[in-house]
Amino acid sequence: MLLTLDIADSRPLHEQVAAAIRRAIAEGECAAGDRLPPARELSQALGVNANTVLRGLRSLRDEGLLEFRRGRGVTVAQGAARRSILVDRVRELVAEAARLGYAKSDLMEMIRVVP
Amino acid sequence: MTGNVAGKRGAGVARWAAYGWVAGVLALLLALPLLTAGRLPDRVATHWTGTSGRPDGSMPLWAAAVFPALIWAVASAVVAVAHGRAGSATAWGGTVLLSMGVTLVGAQAAIVRANLDHDRWQDAESVTPWVVGTLAAGAAVGVAAALVTRRRVPPGARPSGTPPMELPPDQRVVWLASASNPWLYTLAAVTGATALIALVLTVGGVVEAPLWPLIVPFALVSVLTFGCASVQVLVTDQGLRVSFGPLGWPARRWRPADLESAHAEHRTPAQVGGWGYRLSGLGTTVMLRAGECLVIRARGKDFAVSVDDAERGAALLNAVAVRGR
Repeated sequence: MLLTLDIADSRPLHEQVAAAIRRAIAEGECAAGDRLPPARELSQALGVNANTVLRGLRSLRDEGLLEFRRGRGVTVAQGAARRSILVDRVRELVAEAARLGYAKSDLMEMIRVVP
Repeated sequence: MTGNVAGKRGAGVARWAAYGWVAGVLALLLALPLLTAGRLPDRVATHWTGTSGRPDGSMPLWAAAVFPALIWAVASAVVAVAHGRAGSATAWGGTVLLSMGVTLVGAQAAIVRANLDHDRWQDAESVTPWVVGTLAAGAAVGVAAALVTRRRVPPGARPSGTPPMELPPDQRVVWLASASNPWLYTLAAVTGATALIALVLTVGGVVEAPLWPLIVPFALVSVLTFGCASVQVLVTDQGLRVSFGPLGWPARRWRPADLESAHAEHRTPAQVGGWGYRLSGLGTTVMLRAGECLVIRARGKDFAVSVDDAERGAALLNAVAVRGR
């Protein structure tokens, strides 16, 4: 699995880690059901604290891309590749909306009235 | 071009030498008892007790002639099949055939000599010195053949390496891969359980004599197999790290400055002499399954590990090595 961390990125590190893994899932680096390397391994690979990695993994679980299972470690969720592409675009949309002065609730209202 | 032709001719000579050796040994194994049949008993002694050196097992004369020949034929066939599958890179095939041929012919000669001019197989002489000599000769031939075939692997005859991956300047790219072998895990579990049961029996006093000769080797095999059953490979801008077992320890590391080249290659357990941590004519191979292997050349030595997607791992390693220079 190839992971790319953007050094020039100014976002918090845990978000960068999440972005790197999200990108890997979107590009098919790891398929649904694949086990992710342990957090310790990822932290050594990326040169990031293990807690930061865990925080990134947890946010990906909340997005529905990863599944945490006791005894089986962290696995890629079913349909995660498609979902990760969509999640990425939603994040861009939220960021763009914030830049233009719209709150998330405004966005949700816009999405609701879209036919 | 000329080197290639000479190499092909060399391989042809080696092939005919192997055929000759197989046929010659086969003929000797059959001829030794059959040509001396007139001076041998009807049943010949074929097994001796270890302690007193007296014969304790026999076979009809024809079986004594055919049985070793059959073993030899099967072994030759196995080597031929493995050789055909793995191509010309099987370095161990010649070693096995040479060593085994010497051992079988020596054993057959010892059996015939011990039975010669005796009416009953029970009167056959001891074979202990012959067996010791034969085993020593077989081992010596095997070691010599292994050394010769190892030296014959030409340095620099390998692919020069995968083209390096393009690395954007402001990005940190890492590659993680792992492989595991469920059979080795099963073997580790079975041997470990055996050692544990034997330990409980010994400590509990159920058996009369302590079972240490059983416990120690089984526990050792279990630990070693457990450590070899899985491998994790990590490529970062710090170089390559290959760590063994579920604990990620022990591990081997190579800094970017040490790496000369990396490429992906298809290898099989037959080529490198089995599963696990293997030393062969191809260098060191960590073999968990047949297929794609990441091969690196560092400090003049080759190291390979069987992992998926090795092509990109090699590309990133080459990029890291170029950057590290």
